[in-house]
Amino acid sequence: MTTVASRAGRSRDTLALIALSAPALVWYGLFMVVPLLSMFYLSLLQWNSLVGAPHFTGLGNFSRLLGDPIFWVAVRNTAVHLLATLPIMIPTAFLLGYFLSRKPAGHRILSVIFFTPAIVSASARAMMFTGIYQQDGIINTFLRAVGLGEFSHAWLADPTTALWTIVAVDLWAGIGFTAVIFAAALSAIPEDIYEAARLDGARTWTIVWRIAFPMTRQFVGVMLMLQFLWLLLTSAQNVLLLTQGGPGSASMTLSYFLYDQAFVSTRVGYSQAIGVVLFAVGLAGTFVIRGIFRRADR
Amino acid sequence: MRLARGRPAGAPPTPPGGGGRRKRVRRLGVALAYVPVVAYAAALLLPLYYVVISSFKTNQTIFLAPLEPPARLSFTAYGRAEALANLSGAIENSVLVSLGAELVALALSVLAAFGIARIPSRLSSVIEGLFGLGFLVPVMAVLVPTFLLAVFTGLLHSLLFLVLFYPATVLPLSIILLTQFMRTIPLEVEESATIDGATRLQVLRHIILPLSMPGLATIAILNIITFWNEYLFALILTDEGSRTVQVALPFLKEPQSVDFALLSAGIVITLVPVYAAYVVLQRRMQEALVAGAVKG
Repeated sequence: MTTVASRAGRSRDTLALIALSAPALVWYGLFMVVPLLSMFYLSLLQWNSLVGAPHFTGLGNFSRLLGDPIFWVAVRNTAVHLLATLPIMIPTAFLLGYFLSRKPAGHRILSVIFFTPAIVSASARAMMFTGIYQQDGIINTFLRAVGLGEFSHAWLADPTTALWTIVAVDLWAGIGFTAVIFAAALSAIPEDIYEAARLDGARTWTIVWRIAFPMTRQFVGVMLMLQFLWLLLTSAQNVLLLTQGGPGSASMTLSYFLYDQAFVSTRVGYSQAIGVVLFAVGLAGTFVIRGIFRRADR
Repeated sequence: MRLARGRPAGAPPTPPGGGGRRKRVRRLGVALAYVPVVAYAAALLLPLYYVVISSFKTNQTIFLAPLEPPARLSFTAYGRAEALANLSGAIENSVLVSLGAELVALALSVLAAFGIARIPSRLSSVIEGLFGLGFLVPVMAVLVPTFLLAVFTGLLHSLLFLVLFYPATVLPLSIILLTQFMRTIPLEVEESATIDGATRLQVLRHIILPLSMPGLATIAILNIITFWNEYLFALILTDEGSRTVQVALPFLKEPQSVDFALLSAGIVITLVPVYAAYVVLQRRMQEALVAGAVKG
């Protein structure tokens, strides 16, 4: 039924829709889409100081990047950071989430506690750990107290431990938060499925891996992806606040390398080439994770 | 993803007979499971406890007895933190930025979500899809371009730029969550008003908006935490006068030695507003952040 009136009504609807959503679309375009696209353009420029004029070098920044030893250190550190954090964080958080989802005594207070790191800002968290890691901080004091004084360390300033301090902070904050999210997903599993399994004599371990995990598998994939992207892209904050990539470049990650090149060395174009690499790694990782968690799904 | 609510808590009915020994084994298993769980909970609380008590102590007592609560509350660290990093000025900046950005974000999201949810058409699903794609844009990727944008618009170091920029970072999530919420309001409610001759904006103001309050509250909480806690963009976009509290806090750390009483006082000051809100709104905040994490 396409009467003149309804057609006029529909076009009025369309106009109203455009008018209502235009402000948000324009805003998002201006502050997110245009800057994102300009990252790709900037990566093709040689622009070493904001006062100087940029000039086009094509893929010059990328070939320089491949020959830059610090870039490869950052790649290695990023790989270590991710591979040390994620395989501990996700399974631990899943088990913890399962525990919480069974609503054991005290689960409410526990989930409040597990959730607190999510509301502590990056800056407050890093300052807290600065105090914990310092020479006469709580870790070293504890080691000395139990007679392991020889293991006390300048944790942030020692090249063998600097990167691990970042890993520890991410685990500290990430496990509990992820666990609470897993618990939310797991409590959607109907109780009778668990009961039936128990009547069949299934043990808790079997229930976790044969029922709880398969039923939330896609969800676990999503959380793994989110944590992967989060760690990959935003490690600059923790590194900047705790170690500045040092000592030397012992804790230099790709994300911090971008920050360092952009705002410490003011090599704008070069920093954006790192941004493009990060973007590509993030995208590739997302596809790999989705692939893994979909294939075995069937 | 919604949190499952209202499911009866407590133990499932025990299977009849025969399970005595296994039940005992299971109970032992649950008891054992508490050990790592409680240990992790303690590991989360210990640093917070350490910071809070240290903020009321002197550096000497922190060093000599790190975990002992202060014998006498000393507020000198708070005074020094305020004097050194001008924390009250920074808090003022943070409040202005968070509230300003929140207003802009809510206004933009309410309008867009209202359009998408209440005028169903092919175009509205396209627009919804566009904001859905927004989840794929990593905010870190726009760090440097955003800095350049601030420089070229002459708004670098002004609070106004943060107020304008922050909403963009939360728009996709706010709009998608709010759209979902507004869809659950039955169409009839709106139709009767339209027949009575109400304009679209009147419908939004008098019908849809009041009914969307729970959804709006969720988003508002989520956004204000994001804005209050944001560090990296605030760091590059502000200067001494426009610093937010997150940026001011690390200035309490001296490069060589750490004055932990001072630092702790600063941490406590930045955490108090968020924690106070968390205590009051615990359940709702947790739900909001879970929803946010899963959709984001």
